[in-house]
Amino acid sequence: MKDAQKRLISIGFLVVALLLPLLFRKNAYSMILLTTIVLYGVLTTAWNIIGGMAGQLDLAAGAYLGLGAFTSGTLLIRWNITPWVGMIAGGLVATLFAIAVGFPLFRFHIREVWYALSSAALVEVLRVVFLMWEEIGGPVERFLPFHTFSLYHLRFASYIPYYYIMLGLLVIALLVNRRIRRTRLGYYLLSLGDDEDAAEVLGVNARAYKLRALVIYAFIVGITGSIYACLYGFIHPMVFSSPISLEVAILGIVGGMGIPFGPLLASVILVSAREFLRASIGGQLESLYLAIYAVVLIVIALFKPRGLAVLIQDVYARIRAVLSSAEGRTNL
Amino acid sequence: MSTVIQNLLNGAMMGFIYALIALGLSIIFGVMNIVNFAHGDFVMLSMYFTFWVGSLWSIDAFATPVITFPLLFLFGILVYFLIIEGTLRQKYVTQIAVTVGLLTLLRALAQIVWKAQPRALPYSLIQGSLDIGPVTILLSRLVSAGVSLVAILLVYLFFTKTWQGRAIRAASDDLDAASLMGVNYRWVYAFSFGLGSALTAIAGGLLMSFQQVDPTMGLRFGLLSWCILALTGLGSIPGLLISGVIVGSAESLAMSLWDPRARSLIIYLIFVLVLWLRPRGLFGRK
Repeated sequence: MKDAQKRLISIGFLVVALLLPLLFRKNAYSMILLTTIVLYGVLTTAWNIIGGMAGQLDLAAGAYLGLGAFTSGTLLIRWNITPWVGMIAGGLVATLFAIAVGFPLFRFHIREVWYALSSAALVEVLRVVFLMWEEIGGPVERFLPFHTFSLYHLRFASYIPYYYIMLGLLVIALLVNRRIRRTRLGYYLLSLGDDEDAAEVLGVNARAYKLRALVIYAFIVGITGSIYACLYGFIHPMVFSSPISLEVAILGIVGGMGIPFGPLLASVILVSAREFLRASIGGQLESLYLAIYAVVLIVIALFKPRGLAVLIQDVYARIRAVLSSAEGRTNL
Repeated sequence: MSTVIQNLLNGAMMGFIYALIALGLSIIFGVMNIVNFAHGDFVMLSMYFTFWVGSLWSIDAFATPVITFPLLFLFGILVYFLIIEGTLRQKYVTQIAVTVGLLTLLRALAQIVWKAQPRALPYSLIQGSLDIGPVTILLSRLVSAGVSLVAILLVYLFFTKTWQGRAIRAASDDLDAASLMGVNYRWVYAFSFGLGSALTAIAGGLLMSFQQVDPTMGLRFGLLSWCILALTGLGSIPGLLISGVIVGSAESLAMSLWDPRARSLIIYLIFVLVLWLRPRGLFGRK
């Protein structure tokens, strides 16, 4: 596809996304569903930087999400500081944590499965720490102040404002992704994801660039966490969630590693399918939707290991081939 | 002081069971280099099977592995041929995606079949305790540790003394050479995966003699066994036992001296520290 064509398609999708609330504004369930899908889109798109491009299978999305939520939530509850500031603070706390963790991890050449496992362990560590840390966390939910419509507190009775905020974040995450992909950093990361040893031999400073990818990812997820806290209206150590972390990674993988819109595609298709299943059969048999969802993920990962985005690109190419050959015949 | 000794003992006995779980993972990871994220959920599954078998036919938890061991073995072989074999030639990322999917699936199935509530068996026949000086040893824990030790020993003997065991080790060292010597790698792999899963059946039976099971406990066992594996390095069965004891006693001491909630914290701290400081483990080959 040409760039102009791509831009046209992206703008088309954006307009549709902007107009969707008009269709569903009466229905709070649909609105939170849309917001959740966009939320997963942001998380997986950010994950694409460290996981998809740099090839570091990070399973700690929940850690950065929770740090962002707790930072901005605590600032708002304790000192009445607006989440707009809290967002940046949350992003920074997540970033600092990512540096503190990533620096030694990359320094000691921890890779592949061991990196994945240690990042998965981080989420559990943070959850326990925040459960034990009574001043900030503790086992009881801490509620954010209630407002029907307050831009200062970022608290709304309707989900529509959250949807637009999340959508804005998604656009930023996608632009960051595209920008990285097209600059030197992106090529370095892709080379690291492909073959780290070869890239290092060719002079790519693996430690520095992996850390940079991790920091960008953590910052975006930290900001998302701050909005997440406002969206649900409370903070609790359960936001340090292993299931969310695992899901973000798996959506990133089945979406298509390293392709900027791949993880978003997987989130839109699979999260809405999951929620549709939950709504339609969740009433009769709890968790059946989760089993079906898991089977779908396994099947995609097994038979389309390069991801949904590649699958769609192939289909598009095939349609074009068929169309052009049809044109060729009429020309004859 | 006596609490410290008491907890060290309890933790060490628990550590033998952990070592048994980690041994299963070690076989799977060591022989075919498969990253199985769902191993902890195999433990969860075997605990539920134990619960089923135990409550259906009122069999004592300690005796259930007679039935659950072959069950889990078959389950492992089934999983191998259905899912794992397709990922052998893929990148490790695909393996993790597939096994994380499996983890989600097993957890969801457990919730469907057994509902999202903890299940436990009635008390085991093996009850009572031994008093040795200031410390008390629960008999059920002692027997569990003993059974784990025997099981680990048997696996060790299998790998060192029998032809099949040697074939598996040969395949894990050099697959091509072993294939040329007439080792059928598909069956070696399937068998290893089955054996690795079946070992969790024994562990599940032992755990159910003093503990309950719920659908979300798999991840804890999974990370725990990876932690022990990281601590040990590959290829050392005695090392697994020592690492299991280290992890078990650290966990038990953290629970009694620090905070009961710090139980998993200490394990993950050990895990991260070991990865940073001794990436090959304490007892690894090479």
